[in-house]
Amino acid sequence: MKAKEFKVTWGMVVDLDKCTGCGACMTACQVENNIAPMVDASNKMRTLSWMLVYELSNKKSGAEAEVAYLPRPCMQCGNPACVPVCPVIATDKNEEGGIVSQIYPRCIGCRYCMAACPYHARYFNWEDPVFPKGMEKALSPSTSTRPRGVVEKCNFCHTRFMQAKDKARQEGGNPESLPDGAYMPACAEICPTGAISFGDVKNKEHKVFELAQGKDAFRLLEKLGLNPQVYYVSKREWVRKLGDNYAATGKPGAAKKHS
Amino acid sequence: MGLDRRGFVKIVVGGVAGTLFTPVIWKSLDDVSIWSQNWSWIPRLNKGEVKANAALSKLCPAGCAVKVKTVGGLPFAVVGNTANPMSQGGVCPVCAAGAQLMYSPARVKSPMKKVGEGKFEAIKWEDAEALLVEKLTALKGQNGKIAAICGDETGTAGEVISGLLSGLGNSGYYMMPGEKFVAEKGVKLMGGSGQPGFDIAGSDLVLMIGADALDSWGATVANQKAFAATRPTGAAATAKFVYAGPVLNHSAGVSDKFLPVPPQATAAFALGLANLLINDGAVSSASDFAEYKALAAKYTPEEVEKATGLKAETMKELAAMIKAAKSPVVIAGASFGQGGGALDFVAGASLNVLLGRVGSGMTLLPAAPKAVAGAAASEKDAASFLSEVATGKAAPGALLVYEANPAYALPQADEMAKALGNIAFKVSFSTYMDETAALCDLILPAPHSYERFDDALNPYGVAKSTYLAGKPVVKQPAMDCKDPVDVLLAAASKLGLSLGYDTYADVIKAKAKALGADFDALVAGGIWTGDAKGGSLNLGASALAKVAVPAADDKTLAVALMSNQAFGSATLATPPANLLVISDKELSGKDLLVQMNAATAKKIGVTAGAKVKLTGGKGEMKARVHLNEGVAPGTVGVLLGFGRSAWDEFTKGKGDNVYKILTVSDEAGTGLKVWAGSTVTVAKV
Repeated sequence: MKAKEFKVTWGMVVDLDKCTGCGACMTACQVENNIAPMVDASNKMRTLSWMLVYELSNKKSGAEAEVAYLPRPCMQCGNPACVPVCPVIATDKNEEGGIVSQIYPRCIGCRYCMAACPYHARYFNWEDPVFPKGMEKALSPSTSTRPRGVVEKCNFCHTRFMQAKDKARQEGGNPESLPDGAYMPACAEICPTGAISFGDVKNKEHKVFELAQGKDAFRLLEKLGLNPQVYYVSKREWVRKLGDNYAATGKPGAAKKHS
Repeated sequence: MGLDRRGFVKIVVGGVAGTLFTPVIWKSLDDVSIWSQNWSWIPRLNKGEVKANAALSKLCPAGCAVKVKTVGGLPFAVVGNTANPMSQGGVCPVCAAGAQLMYSPARVKSPMKKVGEGKFEAIKWEDAEALLVEKLTALKGQNGKIAAICGDETGTAGEVISGLLSGLGNSGYYMMPGEKFVAEKGVKLMGGSGQPGFDIAGSDLVLMIGADALDSWGATVANQKAFAATRPTGAAATAKFVYAGPVLNHSAGVSDKFLPVPPQATAAFALGLANLLINDGAVSSASDFAEYKALAAKYTPEEVEKATGLKAETMKELAAMIKAAKSPVVIAGASFGQGGGALDFVAGASLNVLLGRVGSGMTLLPAAPKAVAGAAASEKDAASFLSEVATGKAAPGALLVYEANPAYALPQADEMAKALGNIAFKVSFSTYMDETAALCDLILPAPHSYERFDDALNPYGVAKSTYLAGKPVVKQPAMDCKDPVDVLLAAASKLGLSLGYDTYADVIKAKAKALGADFDALVAGGIWTGDAKGGSLNLGASALAKVAVPAADDKTLAVALMSNQAFGSATLATPPANLLVISDKELSGKDLLVQMNAATAKKIGVTAGAKVKLTGGKGEMKARVHLNEGVAPGTVGVLLGFGRSAWDEFTKGKGDNVYKILTVSDEAGTGLKVWAGSTVTVAKV
């Protein structure tokens, strides 16, 4: 199946050499998207982490040991594995910008999409969202709360996209060609080291255009051909190798297929 | 009229065709999926105008200059304040969870009076304040009878508390042990005075010795911004970062080099480095250079290898890197009140003197003018004070606890909690039901950071004098609380004492005026910065002569305290919105995972996932083992901030509190209580 082409392709470039793994992106994501706190959040089979920071290790010890932190949102694949398997079209990639949608009221909770996603970016609500008494007053107006039984995932803070377009319309700008920085997901906005850059990877005026094509840029599991819209940058070779651990050649960057 | 076969077929076929053409069935299916998710118990979103107001978020130790987003007046999210040069639009993970913390189940909802062991009853503010005044009146004028513990290093509230105590004829004002307190002692040992600062932004090589500067040491977000500025994505880095410490932590993760140094050997590491630099031609005009040189000469590469495990070659590479740098800076320290002692600080800071970087890389901040007359600095830390209470050397009748949690965050936590029991009347000014509040006789709930006026002068680590202030973001606090400073000022007035102010807002206005800052600009998200003081320091050679490197012991492991900003601090348990950040390598169910490398685990006979008991001093804690090759040999890394016994269902009983197993000792020559580098035995259970 041929991937749909979009004039605008919202993408992220994460500089793994700048990410300290502090977790502010995860917290900001949880707050923006109204994810209820779980009493036992150590049960990672049940948690909802639209943004999840992984710790990577070079498996060496002592002074040779190195770690890197890898924030993983939804990759918003150009050729998503989750979309064709959805029996009810609750997830689709059909909007200018290339964000893979997730329509909660349409989701029947079959979880085929979760099985299909190689990035583990999708989460199933095993429980209804329960906020401690009073904390519902601190709900963000951006994202509806989801009941149990539906799948959810990162959507690059889609409400912020809508708001940026509205603002452009109000101010006489072009909503189809937002300037760099006009639309930022919560994780990119809060990152204290600015490790997460965000913008239109097809727009030369956006910083990410160049960053995504840098010599140290790579995408996760590029060989699968899903054409993710999330790019990573690291000068460390072992990190780049881990990013594409199914690549036949084993050489970083060998299977690069930039759109 | 009967239904014949043909008629029946017609109805069936017509029915099937009808279902295909009518939208009713499809609409119904759609509605079923919508309405089956539309339950009354699913929380609904709040509506109203969305605004973003500047605030000073003092939930993390340094404080973040942020903007709090509100919908219809209710805070729901925190974003960075790009206009503030200190935070530059960044937010730490704790402040990022700030809006939700306003509704934390652990919040104290109204004034409470203790009515039995672990039992409290809600009382009215007027009764609570009357009780406070009554107790203070009885002890007024008797020095040693009223004491206060303050956990806020930056707020002018400390001056009010200290001024109140002085006015009542008492000198018992104690700070919780923090970096600032220890570093100022260290500066004194080097013949100087003032709070040291470190200019990360202006340095091309930053050597962090034990200081997790990019996660939880100092003004974290400002440090992270300074680091980020040297690492433009897709371009060459303009500065090098090196982390030398016991665990490959967040700072080490993004550093160019990580050097595993056991916690008890950081001073030896610094002096070994000094030796190499001196051999390589480094000289200093400091008066005690000859003495320092002779001392450093004892830390030969062989001795350093014995103490730290680092090869001579590795040390030489580091020395060469420092020599090649134009503007290096060394930051020695720890975070979260880790009890590092002043000598570790002096050893690190002496390298800045040796490298000629005092006044540029390492600065000294001038003493700021006081807003409250009679306010004095804390001479002793709370750990020393409570040790005296435990032995009966100090016998206060009343204790005021402000933004501090001594029952949890001091070494031998159980002993400290017992010492608190020796004090007849304890008052906690706390936003949350923490371990100390749970032991107090009176709890006077303090407003959340977004509900009150507050300020922050010189968060530890800043290179220039820095002042921030904030005003409430909301009209009404979420709980029935009062600003502690307002309560204390009112109490002072009833005790016939005038501190010159009626409210904390007035105090902060006066402080801003004294500094020459504009209060209105500050509370609108601005910042005031002053200059750093010049001044010279010596190398602290006579103090460093007392550095002792403990001999390696086969039976015990050194404890490396690991802090992670996202998991909270000494005064704040992990916020509910940050629980997700705790990984399964750190907490599994209710078991805390302690970290050690495979060789250490083998040596003590434990394997990955094994349940273990750590014993030290009079305490013990339980945990599981996680193998982590980024931990120095002979060391066990234990995360701070777990094992809460109060707070809420999100934190209570999760993991264990490492403070229970830390042993306190007196630091040679400084009189400080130290507990970094405590040793423990680890046994399988």
